[in-house]
Amino acid sequence: MNTLLKVEKISVSFDGFKAINSLSYSIGKNELKAIIGPNGAGKTTFMDIITGQTKPDEGKVLFGERSVWLESDQKYQVVWDENLLMKSESQIALLGIGRKFQRPTVFELKTVFENLFISMKKNRNPFSVLFQKLNRDEKNLIEKILGEISLKNEQDRIAGELSHGQKQWLEIGMLLTQEPKLLLIDEPAAGMTSNERRQTVEILKKLSADKSVIVVEHDMEFVKDLECEVTVLHEGSILSEGSIEHVSSNNEVIEVYLGR
Amino acid sequence: MTNSINDLLARHTLIFTIVVVIFSLFITFFSEPYGNGLISTSFVKTLGKTVCLCIIALAMDVVWGYCGILSLGHFAFFGLGGYMIGMWLMYERTAIIVQEAATNELLPLTETELSNAIGNQIFGVVGGYDIPSIWMFADSLGLQLILVIAVPGILAFIFGWLAFRSRVTGVYLSILTQALTLALSLYLFQNDSGLRGNNGLSGLQNIPGIEYLGQEVISIGFFWASCIFLISIFLLFHSLMKSKFGLIITSIRDNETRVRFLGYNVEIYKLFIFVLTAIISSIAGALYYPQAGIINPAELAPIASIYLAVWVAIGGRGKLYGAIIGAAFVSLFSSWFTGGQAPDIPLGIFTIEWVNWWTVLLGFGFVIITIFSENGIIGFLRNIFVKEK
Repeated sequence: MNTLLKVEKISVSFDGFKAINSLSYSIGKNELKAIIGPNGAGKTTFMDIITGQTKPDEGKVLFGERSVWLESDQKYQVVWDENLLMKSESQIALLGIGRKFQRPTVFELKTVFENLFISMKKNRNPFSVLFQKLNRDEKNLIEKILGEISLKNEQDRIAGELSHGQKQWLEIGMLLTQEPKLLLIDEPAAGMTSNERRQTVEILKKLSADKSVIVVEHDMEFVKDLECEVTVLHEGSILSEGSIEHVSSNNEVIEVYLGR
Repeated sequence: MTNSINDLLARHTLIFTIVVVIFSLFITFFSEPYGNGLISTSFVKTLGKTVCLCIIALAMDVVWGYCGILSLGHFAFFGLGGYMIGMWLMYERTAIIVQEAATNELLPLTETELSNAIGNQIFGVVGGYDIPSIWMFADSLGLQLILVIAVPGILAFIFGWLAFRSRVTGVYLSILTQALTLALSLYLFQNDSGLRGNNGLSGLQNIPGIEYLGQEVISIGFFWASCIFLISIFLLFHSLMKSKFGLIITSIRDNETRVRFLGYNVEIYKLFIFVLTAIISSIAGALYYPQAGIINPAELAPIASIYLAVWVAIGGRGKLYGAIIGAAFVSLFSSWFTGGQAPDIPLGIFTIEWVNWWTVLLGFGFVIITIFSENGIIGFLRNIFVKEK
């Protein structure tokens, strides 16, 4: 399987506090992975680094692995399309990395439909945007996504009026209209009812059919339902990796999670 | 959904256009040259100037109310536009006067003598007769009109590019724009700035070539030009803000980070709006100062840009109507109160003289309106008349 994103030995510190300490991580195409860890483990900082909001002190973040046949050496060589450390937030987003924030971050004064319309994958140049009109295909795509995130009946409502859970879905919908390759999802289940949680698990699993998804959570139960590989972060580095059963039987993990 | 939006859009702009045209016709039919003279030429000029102030208020509303950039520098662009057109008006008129005077001389003037005579007329007050190099295009109306657009455009572009690229936002950006305004104003106050220091440019109401028409006709002409420009800018901004582009602009105001993570280059969008509104402010200034007759560096002082923000806040930001209502009401009231027409209020031992107390009244009004209605007069009226579902 080709690797989509590879993070190599990144470290970052804020005023002497090491938020991320020599962390390496990777995710393949169409893979669903979860990251868990207690508060302050560096989960959000990790996402900030991938999306370009924070620049690490050291390490590499590479995106899009390809194998190239080298005629001279008669062998395959691995090359990467992009070095994310050289890119701005908007450039990284355009490469196909979508991010859902911890707190639902939608445009509260705009309708659900408008929120999805803005996020639509199209030329982002202002001079091109000036003349962009909604066409039939795009309208159909938005309606399809409205169905997937169960907001079909709410499309003309102002996003600020939605319930907390609906806002979370709307934000996921906004990521979907961007047609990303990799989704970073920060605490999707926070503040959801158990019914909404179940629906969210369904949505995330469906997404990983043709996208890579990294879910960051600190709720073990929710991660268990995702049935995917889990990475436990603690104090900026990886404590344990593997299935949820493997991880939750690890003594160190138990100590970190239950010991405090 | 899109159909109903288009209907509404068409209706709003149509109503606005009709109202402004009827207003202009009304003024024209009561003016001195085309009607019974019920409305004096000086009042026509006041109205024409007010219309120009409404245009810059629209620009301020777009940059602040829609895009969230509280610029305290847009009046500087307005003043720059006035200076750029003023240079041609003053140079050309002086050249005509000098040439007319020279027809009585026995020998025709040489190029140098002519240039010195013009220079002496214009720059005598600051002690000199050399025409500064920034006046090199002043003999061409076309080139000066290009400068009306180019000078504020380039200044706004350079300033905006540096500020937005460094992610300066909020109150810090406001302070920077105010510093820009102050620096520009202080520079123009200097006698060697090449723009006549604190004397500024004067006699701008005399339009070279059409002076024979008389002020009453010229004032109506400028009034109409201002109204037509107001309608065009209203239509432009209205359609721009209703489009996808406008959705992104207001999204930047509401949540800049989210827009950035959607893949939009927020800085370019802000720069676009900043430069566009700077240019429109400048054109409004170029229409205003020939009606005012005089421009000096005090016009560009930071307080003017703060008043601009006050008008938009009082009228109601984030709504184009709000900006127009705010600018029109406050500036007309301002000229009434400070013009000495408002009756003073004797309080026995103390008399309220409106010339001095107007700013106090304005301050109170501003505080009261912003406390009771976040969205200004427009928000207040909407709360009363429009039942939100």
